[in-house]
Amino acid sequence: MSAIDQLLRSRELLVCVGPGGVGKTTVAAALGVRAAQLGRRTLVLTIDPARRLVTTLGLDELGDAYRRVPLGDLGGEAPLYAAMLDPGASFDALVGRVATDEEHRSRILSNRVYRLMSRAFGNAHAYVAMERLYDATASDDFDLVILDTPPTRNALDILDAPGRLLAFLDERVIGWLLRQPPEGLRARLLARGGAAARGLLSLLAGDTLVDDLAAFLELFVSLRPGFQERALAVQGRLRAPETAFALVTSPLADNLADAAYLRDGLAGRGVVLRALIVNRAYVPLGDHPWSAGADARPLGDALALLEPSGEGERAGFSALLDHIRALRQRIADGNQRAHAAALAFADGAPRGCLKVQAPNLDHEPQDRRALAGLAALIADPRAELRR
Amino acid sequence: MIARDRATYRLGSPGRSGYDAAASPPNPTSTVSTSPPNTPRAGLFDRQLLLFTGKGGVGKSTVVAALGVAAAERGLRPLLVELGHRASMGSIFPGSSIDHRPHPVACGGRLAAMNLELDEALFDYIVGQVKIRRIARAIAGNASLRGLFRAAPAVREIITLAKLQALADDLLEDGRRRWQPILVDLDATGHALMLLELPQLLRSLVESGPLVRVTESLSGLIADRERTILSLVSLAREVPVQETIELYSDLHERHAIEVGSLFVNQVPPPALPSTLLPWLSVAEDRLREKGRGKGRLAADLRLTRRLDDEHRSARAQIERLRAELPGIPRVELPMIHGGIHGEADLLRLGELALAVDEGQGEGVERASSAMASAGGDR
Repeated sequence: MSAIDQLLRSRELLVCVGPGGVGKTTVAAALGVRAAQLGRRTLVLTIDPARRLVTTLGLDELGDAYRRVPLGDLGGEAPLYAAMLDPGASFDALVGRVATDEEHRSRILSNRVYRLMSRAFGNAHAYVAMERLYDATASDDFDLVILDTPPTRNALDILDAPGRLLAFLDERVIGWLLRQPPEGLRARLLARGGAAARGLLSLLAGDTLVDDLAAFLELFVSLRPGFQERALAVQGRLRAPETAFALVTSPLADNLADAAYLRDGLAGRGVVLRALIVNRAYVPLGDHPWSAGADARPLGDALALLEPSGEGERAGFSALLDHIRALRQRIADGNQRAHAAALAFADGAPRGCLKVQAPNLDHEPQDRRALAGLAALIADPRAELRR
Repeated sequence: MIARDRATYRLGSPGRSGYDAAASPPNPTSTVSTSPPNTPRAGLFDRQLLLFTGKGGVGKSTVVAALGVAAAERGLRPLLVELGHRASMGSIFPGSSIDHRPHPVACGGRLAAMNLELDEALFDYIVGQVKIRRIARAIAGNASLRGLFRAAPAVREIITLAKLQALADDLLEDGRRRWQPILVDLDATGHALMLLELPQLLRSLVESGPLVRVTESLSGLIADRERTILSLVSLAREVPVQETIELYSDLHERHAIEVGSLFVNQVPPPALPSTLLPWLSVAEDRLREKGRGKGRLAADLRLTRRLDDEHRSARAQIERLRAELPGIPRVELPMIHGGIHGEADLLRLGELALAVDEGQGEGVERASSAMASAGGDR
């Protein structure tokens, strides 16, 4: 069994991070198909997938709810599910779950600061992903959850969100902003320093915004224990030994730069990278997917093989063959440079991190069979990235 | 510039060098669709604040860096700005240290770059608003407040815009602008839209206080067509093209910002000159007839066919862009196998992009052949 298969068999949460445009979501879906084939009840949580991926999975639509992916003869006993993270809807659901009563809930949902925060801004993704992770990993329905994260910065937000949410709900700041004097001596002392802080904030942000923010925090403060519990649980989960992070990238310079940022960002947050997947690593030169380098088979007298029937054909074929030779040399050189870049990048991956590469396929996978095919390539022992 | 509405003309000739160019990489070709007739378009560098957006992974940072190098070579005073969480410029200009203040990174010190980082920019912003430095420091240094700022909605975006404005307004002693142009490598499309929407969103939230002034002046900067322009970067592939079309219509409907060119990056060249394509079909048929479908030659023909298909699907995507976004000039940049490395490559790419953008045919010929010969050196 390949190391990738072992990873899919042994972990409970696989987080796929990577720059945009490298096929990360497709890889995450392919690994989901593979894991189900390996007998694990699997959920793929994706973020804003391209419309085509939804049809590739054989679904007509994908939303907030878990959808069973029909695997047909590809699968075995274990089901595969997929769901999309919808930031607006799920944040509301989160409030609904934590809020104590209906009135409280609707006051939060209609607060302007809340609406701005939950819908307009990228950060909300991370909180929502966090919430979905909490539910999915706590559920007994799945053996493995594969989380596809948004590109680059937001991927790290997944790790930062729990702590950030707690910071946002910092007791002291809330104390400063609350309009009603809080109860208890300690709280009143905190609030006294708060008048000055609030004045300064007003100076910066304007009274209205601070009032709205205060109203929002007043509503939110009672939710703090609920949030805290979930945030801490998710923070623990992301760093647990049953969790693995996989970095998906392409060998292009722009992507590797973003990938390096992620690699270092993960390390700086105490997360161990378990797998590096270099997608679209090379253009196969021959018919089989592993032909990254020159074909060793002798070409022979290509012109003779074409059996030109006259001078016209002879000249045409000669020109064609000259051009093709140059073309394949150029592709081989490009593959080599890409390989060198991928290797140099892989050197910076932590010890024990799996390093694999997948070829640049002619087409993005169009159906589940093609997804399974991509996963089979990634899980093939020959996919190992080596010198 | 030849004005031809929605027309596309090809610069350089892909098949021209035909058989004798067999040993060199494809001729990078670039095409431009021209502006509608009788509307002379200002050059990119006539604006001061050049914003770039596009889906992640389209090589946006490379295009931005290349234009920066080209601007420096033209004697301008360019500044590259990347947003704090990205670190692309550091690897595009290896050996340079990029932090929150502008530092020279290339072109003999004439190209500067900086990373717009939240915490530092926040401090600058607070200092600008609260004139007393000690209090500003106290606010910026307060851990609880920092936590609030990091998590609170819109703070990052306000700070980013305010910092860009400060950079744009910065003057030299002689009264000229210190940075001309400022090239901003924005985030993926969603984030860029959010930045542009911010002044409007804030106006709905804030009725008084300094934020109103900030908001007004930020929307003024963004809407100033003489000064600010947004360029899009895409690839000739299905998903980025779709996203670009959606982004453009969104911009068109909801935003006052001027949209400049669409840079279509990494366009795969034709696999074969068009004169040889019929021969490929003849050769394929011949091998099939002779039952030689399994050998290496057959594999080579299939490789060629695959690459030709790739080129064709890229052309189809570009055609889609042409049909759906007729009003926006397109600049096609060639795929360079093995990628862009070093200042010389960047300059060639930048010159190519500019020459096409400005419709200077002669410049394009020069840039094209320079690029081709550089590729041949590898």
